[in-house]
Amino acid sequence: MRRIIASTFCALLAGAATTFGASPGDGAHEMMGHGEHGAQPQTTDRKLEPLPKQVPDWLRNRKKNHVFYKQGKFNYDIYNIKPLAYDLNAVAVGHAMAYEDMVIGKAATLDTRTFDRINWVLKHPPRLMPDEAAISSTFNRRFGVLEQVFDWTHILHAQTVDVLASTKLTEKEKDKKIEELWQYYTTSVPYAITPLPMNMAYLDSQPYSMAFRKRYPKVNGLFWGYHWLQGIMYDALYGKTLDHQKAGYKILGERYHETELYKTDRSFMPMFAEVSPRFSQKFPHIANAFDNLHMLHDMVNDIFTSDWMTEEQKDEQVLRAIWIVSADAHRHEKAGDVKEEAGMHDHRFMEGMPGMGLMKGGDQEVMYMDGMGWMSMADCHHCSMALPEGDEAWRAPTVTAEGWTMRVRCPLCARDMAAETKGRAILHIPTENQNHPLAVFSDEQGNLTTDMANAVFVEEEGSHRRCHRWSQAFTSKAALDEFIAGNPDFKTSRAISFQQWADRHGEKPDTYVKPVGPPGNPIDEVASTNEEDR
Amino acid sequence: MKKNKTLILALITAFLTIVGQAPVRAHEAKCPHCELDVVQDTPTLDNEVALKYGKKRIEYRCVMCAIADADKNYKGDLTVLAPTETKGKRIEIARKGGQWTGPEGTVFIAHKVKHRYCQAGYRAFTNKAAFDTHVQKNKLQVAGAEPVTLAQLVEVASKEFESEK
Repeated sequence: MRRIIASTFCALLAGAATTFGASPGDGAHEMMGHGEHGAQPQTTDRKLEPLPKQVPDWLRNRKKNHVFYKQGKFNYDIYNIKPLAYDLNAVAVGHAMAYEDMVIGKAATLDTRTFDRINWVLKHPPRLMPDEAAISSTFNRRFGVLEQVFDWTHILHAQTVDVLASTKLTEKEKDKKIEELWQYYTTSVPYAITPLPMNMAYLDSQPYSMAFRKRYPKVNGLFWGYHWLQGIMYDALYGKTLDHQKAGYKILGERYHETELYKTDRSFMPMFAEVSPRFSQKFPHIANAFDNLHMLHDMVNDIFTSDWMTEEQKDEQVLRAIWIVSADAHRHEKAGDVKEEAGMHDHRFMEGMPGMGLMKGGDQEVMYMDGMGWMSMADCHHCSMALPEGDEAWRAPTVTAEGWTMRVRCPLCARDMAAETKGRAILHIPTENQNHPLAVFSDEQGNLTTDMANAVFVEEEGSHRRCHRWSQAFTSKAALDEFIAGNPDFKTSRAISFQQWADRHGEKPDTYVKPVGPPGNPIDEVASTNEEDR
Repeated sequence: MKKNKTLILALITAFLTIVGQAPVRAHEAKCPHCELDVVQDTPTLDNEVALKYGKKRIEYRCVMCAIADADKNYKGDLTVLAPTETKGKRIEIARKGGQWTGPEGTVFIAHKVKHRYCQAGYRAFTNKAAFDTHVQKNKLQVAGAEPVTLAQLVEVASKEFESEK
C-alpha cells in the first residue's frame, strides 16, 4: 500500500513538475547519468529557475577551506558507543562512493555494483571516520563548494553526537555545548545551512525532483537509511545515561541494518522530528538545518540523475540548490515568516514542532507519515490531547518503535502505544526530575524492563482530558510523597510499582480523534484511487 | 439574572455530560499486514481483529491479515481475537506449539475479494446459519462462498504469505 501511494504520489508530483518548461534530451551527456534507462518522463516543458545574479562569492569559490572540529573534551566520545560510531563511519563511505560513481560515468550500475560495494562497507564498517574527499576525489574537484557544505554540516552532526555520548559533561553542560557548536557552525564559515524550517514540498517539487529515487531506488534507500540513522540517534542519546544509550542502540542498530537501509517504499526522506522529536523541540534550529542538509542531498542526487539537463545546467542547479538552503539566502528571516507561500521563503513549521517545516500534501496541522497515516505533531499520538510545548515540552514521554519516535502525553499513553505496536520499543518517560527520566525497554512480546528499580507510578485512569495528571511517574516513593504534600488533590493516590504498572493496559482513550488530511490533498486522492484497485 | 446563570450552568453541564458519554473512539492505526486502515467497531458490529502476543495487542483489518502476519512475523504462541456476527462476542483462535485451535462449531469465510472488502471476505462465525446470513447480506462481494474450517483459513493465509516472499 505504502509503495503504491509513494510511487503514484511521486508520479503525480512529477507530472505537476513537468508542466513547467524545457525540452527532452536537451543535455544528454556522457559524464553523469545514462539516458537509455529512461526512468524519467519525457517532457517537452521543463523550466529551470536560474541561479540569482547576485550571490555571494563563497558559492563559486574553488579553495579547499578545510575547517576542522571545534576543540572540546567531548570530541570522539561517540566511540563510547562503538557500534554507532562504526555505523556512522560507514555512512561517510556510502555517501562518497555513490557520489564518485555518479560523476565518473558509473551511474548505470549504481543500483547494482555500487550498491553491492556500499552494502559490503555497511556490513563491515571502518573503525575510523574516513576522509570522504579521498574516496570521491573527482566529485570534490567538480563540486568543491557542495562538498564543503556537506562536510561542514557533517562535522556539526559528528560533534553534537560526541557531546551527547560524552560521560564527562552534565546534561546542562551538554545543552550549552550543543549551542556553542551551533554558533561555531554558523560563524566559522559562510556556507552554513539555514536553521529555518523550509517548505519541503517546495524543495521537492523542482523540475528535476524525485528522479534519483525512481531510477535508483536501492541506493536512494541507503541514503534515506543513513538519514534515518543520523536523525534517530539524537533522541536515542539525548538525556540518557551511557548504559541506556548502548541498550537503545542495540535495538536501533539492528533495525537500521535489517530494515531501514533497505526500504525502497518511503514516500519521503525521514524527517528529523519524526525520529527525534525531543531533540527537535529543544534545538529546532539544528533539526531544521539537518533536514535542509538531507534535502540538499536529495536535490543534488536528482540533478545528477536528470539526463535532460546539460552539464552546465547541472552545475548551475547544484549551486542554486546550495543557495536555496544556505543561511545566507535567508538572512533576517525568521521561523514562521511566509514571504511567499509554498515557496523558497515559506518558513512556517508544523504546529507543536518548530523543528519541522511543512510537508508535502499536508498543512501546519497535519502531515502524512508512512505506516501511520495523517498525524499531528502538536497532539498525543495515543489520545489526541495537546502535548506540552516550550519550557514544558520535556514532560512529554516518547515511544520509539517501528522506525519512528512519537511524543505522547502520559506514561499510560506511552506504555499502551508500545503495547499496540509490533516489535521492540524504547520508552522515554519523564519523572518529577527533568534530569532523571525513566528509560524503559520493551521486548517483542511487550515485556517492559527498567533499571530504575525504585520508580513508582500513579495511574488512576479516567478521561484522557487529564491523563497528564492521573498518570505520572516518579523516581521514588519519597518523590511521590513530596509531590502529594504539595498537591493535596493526590492525597488518596496509591503508588504502584514499576512491575504493577508494566502489567497494566488501559482502556482505549476516550479523547482520541483520528487526524485527517487537508481537503483535496493529493495523498488521500491517490490512496483512494489505489484502494479502489485492491 | 440568577435564573439565567443557573440555566447556562445547566446547559454547560448537559453539554459536558453528552460529550463525556460520546461513544468511545478507538486509537486507530493502519493494519500492519495490508497497511489499509483498520475498520473500527460500530455500535452494532465488531470489526477490529486483535492479535495478542505476550503483552502486545496489535490490531488488524481482518482475520486473514492477522493469521498471515502471525505466520510471517511472530514466533511462538499467540492468540487472535476475531469478531463474529454478534456484537461483543469475539472468538479466540490460539496458536500453541505451532497448532491452531478455535472454539468448536466456528466456521469462517475465506472468499477472495478485493482487499478493501476483506471484512466481508474473511470473517469468523459462531455457526453455519450466521455464515449463510452473512453471505446473503454481502452477496455482491461473496456470492457463492462456502464455509471453511480454521485449518483451511490458515492454509489460505499461509499461501498469501508465500506469495509475498
